[in-house]
Amino acid sequence: MIRSMARKRLLTVVALATGVTMFAAGCSSSGGEKNEGGGGESSRVLNVWAGTQTPMVANFNPYAPNPLHVTNGAIYEPLFFYNRAEAGDPSPRLGESYEWSEDGTELTIKIREGVKWTDGEPFTVEDVIFSFTNETAKRDYLNTAEKVDESTVKLTFNGAQFTTAVQILGTTLMVPEHIYKDVADKITFTNDEPVGTGPYVLDTISNATYTVVANEDYWGGAPKLKKVRYLALDKNQSAQDLLATGKIDWTTMFVADPGPITDKGQLSLLNNPQDPTTIMSCMNAALGCVGPQTDLAVREAVNLLLDRGEINDKAFSGHAAVASPSLALLGRDDRWISDEIEKESPQEANVAEADKVLTAAGYAKAADGIYEKGGQKLVIELISVEGWSDHNAAGDLIAQQGIDAGIQINHVKITQQEMSDARTAGNYQMMISGITGTSLDDPFAIYRQWLTTEYTTPVGETIEAGRFNFPRYSNPLVDDAVAAAAATNDEETKKEAYATVQKEIVRDLPYIALVVNPTMSFVNTKDYTGWPVEGDMYAFPPSWATISNGVILSQLESNS
Amino acid sequence: MRYFARRITFYVVTLWAAVSLNFILPRAIPGDPKQIYIDTLLRRNGELTPGMLNSIDLLFGSDDASLWDQYLAYWGNLFKGDFGTSVVYFPATVDQLLGEALPWTVGLVGLATIIAFLLGVGGGAWVGWKRGTWVDHIIPASTFLQAVPYFWLALVLISVFSVSLGWFPIVGGYDIFMFDNGPEWSWEFIGSVIYHGTLPAITIVLSAMGGWLLGMRNMMVSTLAEDYVTTAEAKGLRPLRVATTYATRNAVLPSVTGFGIALGFVVAGSVVMEQAFSYPGIGKLLFTAVQAKDYALMQGAFLVITVVVLAANFLMDLINGIIDPRTRNNG
Repeated sequence: MIRSMARKRLLTVVALATGVTMFAAGCSSSGGEKNEGGGGESSRVLNVWAGTQTPMVANFNPYAPNPLHVTNGAIYEPLFFYNRAEAGDPSPRLGESYEWSEDGTELTIKIREGVKWTDGEPFTVEDVIFSFTNETAKRDYLNTAEKVDESTVKLTFNGAQFTTAVQILGTTLMVPEHIYKDVADKITFTNDEPVGTGPYVLDTISNATYTVVANEDYWGGAPKLKKVRYLALDKNQSAQDLLATGKIDWTTMFVADPGPITDKGQLSLLNNPQDPTTIMSCMNAALGCVGPQTDLAVREAVNLLLDRGEINDKAFSGHAAVASPSLALLGRDDRWISDEIEKESPQEANVAEADKVLTAAGYAKAADGIYEKGGQKLVIELISVEGWSDHNAAGDLIAQQGIDAGIQINHVKITQQEMSDARTAGNYQMMISGITGTSLDDPFAIYRQWLTTEYTTPVGETIEAGRFNFPRYSNPLVDDAVAAAAATNDEETKKEAYATVQKEIVRDLPYIALVVNPTMSFVNTKDYTGWPVEGDMYAFPPSWATISNGVILSQLESNS
Repeated sequence: MRYFARRITFYVVTLWAAVSLNFILPRAIPGDPKQIYIDTLLRRNGELTPGMLNSIDLLFGSDDASLWDQYLAYWGNLFKGDFGTSVVYFPATVDQLLGEALPWTVGLVGLATIIAFLLGVGGGAWVGWKRGTWVDHIIPASTFLQAVPYFWLALVLISVFSVSLGWFPIVGGYDIFMFDNGPEWSWEFIGSVIYHGTLPAITIVLSAMGGWLLGMRNMMVSTLAEDYVTTAEAKGLRPLRVATTYATRNAVLPSVTGFGIALGFVVAGSVVMEQAFSYPGIGKLLFTAVQAKDYALMQGAFLVITVVVLAANFLMDLINGIIDPRTRNNG
């Protein structure tokens, strides 16, 4: 009795298992192309991965720290669009024009008329004022926001705000007052049914995807691309596999060998190097930094011994761009780079020159080929974050290049947490570090946040979040020049101030520029037209970029 | 009855210790979650607007409550079923995240574990019965599959069957390009789930089966040497009956105990499997939580895992107490 029961059960299991396998085989042929959703007239759905991991959590609140990508730009829009990919003036979005007062403390903005929120309410000056003055959005430097007439608003500040223009006009998103005024906690609000002015409106959301459809009443005309699907994936490998099989149309991630992806002719690669990768040194002994890197001659020698060409080829697979020691971006920022400095970092090692610098500073080579001074070997610890493979590879190469030039550079890989602690507390010698921060064609943000005394603290005291002067660099000339640049809207005066900053930092080397980090975006150019291209980089192309994503989506058109 | 009372007391104390440890451990890890969070954002996007910074400050706050107060609050929240809010997946709550992930993990890993157990034990019994013949070669083959690092096996299978041949999907628990509204009750959706679960299940079965097979085969061999098996054969019973009712039934006991414990670990999921296949389960949540120092999510996930493992052990204890009276005396 028992036996036959058991056999029956076993048979059931076997039958089930076989059934599953057969079912799977049957499915595999049809599982592929069912891209057309229920969008009616819409043709192909654009599939985008912007780096969201599973599970996707509904959050379309621009005041939350990590809303889903479509929120900032495609649903909510700023007054003006600043293009960080190319030099040029900001282009109008919800604003039409703006005017600064002479001293930079007043800004008059004319807004676009006839714009409607997606719930049908009109977009008004009151919405603009609310977006600047509600307690979550309000900045310290803003004094008042007043209505001048039905389409004009005037902001007044407690000082010249030319340099924060990008934050005021370019990244402050316009939210509907009639909805947001009733939200008690604007940070934890998830805004499941977003009402914006942008080119797209939310359609569906699950914990693996969300879709947006065209806003047919968009002020700039109904977008031609009718439906976009954003995916949640856990790792780059999955995204790369989906790219290879043609299932993703737009994503941005580092792929060492993009050949197999682009060879099929469906996807094209847009590489926009933007942020410099540098060797950052805790360099200011006066603020408590210790180690050989506090000696200018040592930093200079390291700068000279670097073979940046090799670093780009081997650590960045040749996709990185040449960096400028000014930390500005070559090409885009050319007008800001002083003529008195070397514009480009040298791409080859100059060991002879490094020797000269060290010898002049009193170092001498010992029997093992490593320099020493006063019986102290020239040994530097260089740290990078374990797992950031480009940085790790660069660190190994730099260590090798150091040996060749007589400096022992010990490359140590640490966790992200340790890196973070080391740089905020100042107990490191050198580290490989990216520099980020600028969202327009101007290096000002880098100069202020990464180089001025106001943005640093002595070693041992923690540098606050949002401040990045980790080398503890403190130079009154730089501080004054940055302050001067902040107080003017005149390009010539600004250039002069930047020239001072550049002269100082190129000599003092708080950051030794290595390369400019690649930003590799893959876009489907076979089925869609309208992407930013070389020569017409009308917006920064990464799928994760805020604001510019909305600009790009509203330009795209499906071929099929 | 005293046996069961003692067991229950033991498990209550263990549960208290485990839950308290779960409170202490994340706090013992050095590091500032806020800084980590900012660094991650910077690394991923390279953009950090003052607005975002402002939001992050408000989100993390400055919680200076004493450890003891935190501990009491922790227990209070547990009884309310409130595990807190996740930081990585802000503003989702931890119980919501765990609730969504659990069915996927339990469904896939649970099913795969059962299949691996049935195939392994069944195969082991057969191989043990046929000891000394060619079927012995199955043992090294299956042990080899188990010895291959799991992530490598998974990546190779994805690369061959999903990317090159295109027979199986690459990511997800269902076709994410088709079901924009998420899970639904339709045959199409169920089919999609089975289709997406097949390859991950195969990898788990392949890598887990070897252990069951080897253990069962060895028990089978030693059981076959027992006197009662010889007696059964001497009585002239049919070989199949000897193999199943006499040998296998006795040989399978240790495997059943092991199976109970294995089921307890199902909830922990297969972290590597869920990573490799982008499968929306608990293991993946736990992995992300640890990486991002998301204490609330970490604690929630650990708690669920702890409770289920304890429950599975408790259940096996009870079952053992019933089927094998000897364990009751020295419990």
